[in-house]
Amino acid sequence: MSLRLYRYFQSLLLIALGIFLTVKIVSGKLIWYIHPRFIPLTVLAVVVLLLIGMVVFIAGSRTGQDHGEEEQEPGHEHGPSAWRLAVVTLPLAIGVLIPAHPLNASAMGGKGISSAVPITAGGNATIQFDQAADTRNILQWNGLFNSNADPSTYLGQEANVIGFVYHDPNLKDGQFLVGRFALVCCPADAFAVVMVVIWPQSATLPTNQWVKVKGPVQSVQLNGQTLPSIQAVSVELVDPPPQTYLYP
Amino acid sequence: MQPSVRSSRKSRLWVLVVVIGIIILIFDSQIPIVQILPLLEGKLTTFATVFLGIFIEAIPFLLLGTLGSGFVEAFLDHSQIQRFIPRGILTGALTGSLLGMVFPVCECGVVPLTRRLFNKGLPVVAGIAFLMAAPVLNPIVILSTSSAFGWGWMLVGRVGLSMLIAVTTGLLFSVVKSPSEILLPASLRFGGKRAGTSTTQPLAQRSFRAKLNLMMVIAADEFFEMGRFLILGASLAAGMQAFIPQQVLLQVGHGPVTSVLVMMALAVLLSICSTVDAFIALGFVSIFSPGAILAFLIFGPMVDIKTTLMYLSVFKKRTVVYLILLPFLMSLLAGVLLNLVVV
Repeated sequence: MSLRLYRYFQSLLLIALGIFLTVKIVSGKLIWYIHPRFIPLTVLAVVVLLLIGMVVFIAGSRTGQDHGEEEQEPGHEHGPSAWRLAVVTLPLAIGVLIPAHPLNASAMGGKGISSAVPITAGGNATIQFDQAADTRNILQWNGLFNSNADPSTYLGQEANVIGFVYHDPNLKDGQFLVGRFALVCCPADAFAVVMVVIWPQSATLPTNQWVKVKGPVQSVQLNGQTLPSIQAVSVELVDPPPQTYLYP
Repeated sequence: MQPSVRSSRKSRLWVLVVVIGIIILIFDSQIPIVQILPLLEGKLTTFATVFLGIFIEAIPFLLLGTLGSGFVEAFLDHSQIQRFIPRGILTGALTGSLLGMVFPVCECGVVPLTRRLFNKGLPVVAGIAFLMAAPVLNPIVILSTSSAFGWGWMLVGRVGLSMLIAVTTGLLFSVVKSPSEILLPASLRFGGKRAGTSTTQPLAQRSFRAKLNLMMVIAADEFFEMGRFLILGASLAAGMQAFIPQQVLLQVGHGPVTSVLVMMALAVLLSICSTVDAFIALGFVSIFSPGAILAFLIFGPMVDIKTTLMYLSVFKKRTVVYLILLPFLMSLLAGVLLNLVVV
């Protein structure tokens, strides 16, 4: 591949990557991939990608005109090779070809369920003990059960949570798990938090369907963990919330 | 140039053979692909989400490293580096380990930057200490660790022990006299070739704009070179997460020694950027021993899937073995000792 063409391809890929990220930012789907606090960094990265892309394009258009240093410099040891660039198309290909989806019940097997919710030492702990019971989310319920040796104080309080449906093979009939993924950085570190829902028509609910569950909270044992459960009074089908993850 | 052209043709041929093989296999064996696809689809989207998560999260930090590398090449002179880095072995190692305070790079950015600095005359001892320490001993990582664990012993332990391990590893490399003994010939030619070309003017004579342009073009080259390993590493880590239950790993994680080993294995597998790994470690605090968490925070930034791939592209194989083994043994020792002393 000629150096000029190599530079043009580099530029094309850098700008394509910039546009790909811009589309994710604008469509609001970026939070499927990273914690919202990293969004400013991604915006900065887009600016840098587009800038470098343009500089490289200009550098490419100049090669061949003056046989300057550009001629020897790039490609380093192997000379310009299209294969080196090909790998970088992989994230673009994966991003475009595989339907985009936030983590859902299909990831439960690999990720595992955690009732051990971390409480940040640096302040801003999300668990407020005096918070009204029906505003707590699944993560906060798990945090309560985990931080207090005696969860009985919370038994009987009314829960009102949303999450996706997951049918764990170890559950009894008439039970399902309502779950959310919680993450601190990106889906690589995500863990699932769940509550067991006791609901006679459980079997009719498809996996991954988002539901709103209301009812008094109880405590159950599942796979050796103590989990909060809900004696469901109502289970309502809902749309996925814009922010599908919870952030401890 | 000739052999590499031939080898790239050869590899192209191999890819073609494999692809054709797979296609034949699929059609010949009549695998009911339609039935397999829905099963795979869930796993595949999980893979894609985790992969893109690691990749998107790492891009800004990789760009920072490659821009830093471009800056070193375009703006810093051989003589300037020689002036700043002491020649002494211990002072060199100490300075090298603290260089991250000036170049705040994570473990994806540090490899290209180190290679560039070697070519600009950085001594081996200082370079290795920098390579090992910079992903932790830099302002961004210290801040993120403190916001996860507070300004307590975990932060002190992480920073102090990382520096200790980095300096020790650097000192052990003092038997190496010149970077050419540890770098692959290809990474060496790098700066040398350019210096030999007649068109290369001394740095001082170039205009600021020309330097800026050069910096950007080098940043682009390095982005593609190192980006490859980021992508391969991220897809390996995502693949393992999507297809191997994490529970398997967690179940073996008890005891003062095994818990440390498991967390170190997890650090390698997850391959998360050192700027954010403190937050991830936080998620394991309630499951694992303190020594295991500390070992995760020390070892992860030095060795993981993507850095190993990057090391292999820059250093000779024997050097890479040392670069993995030395931090591994020292982090393990630190974690186990902490567990035995505290518990």
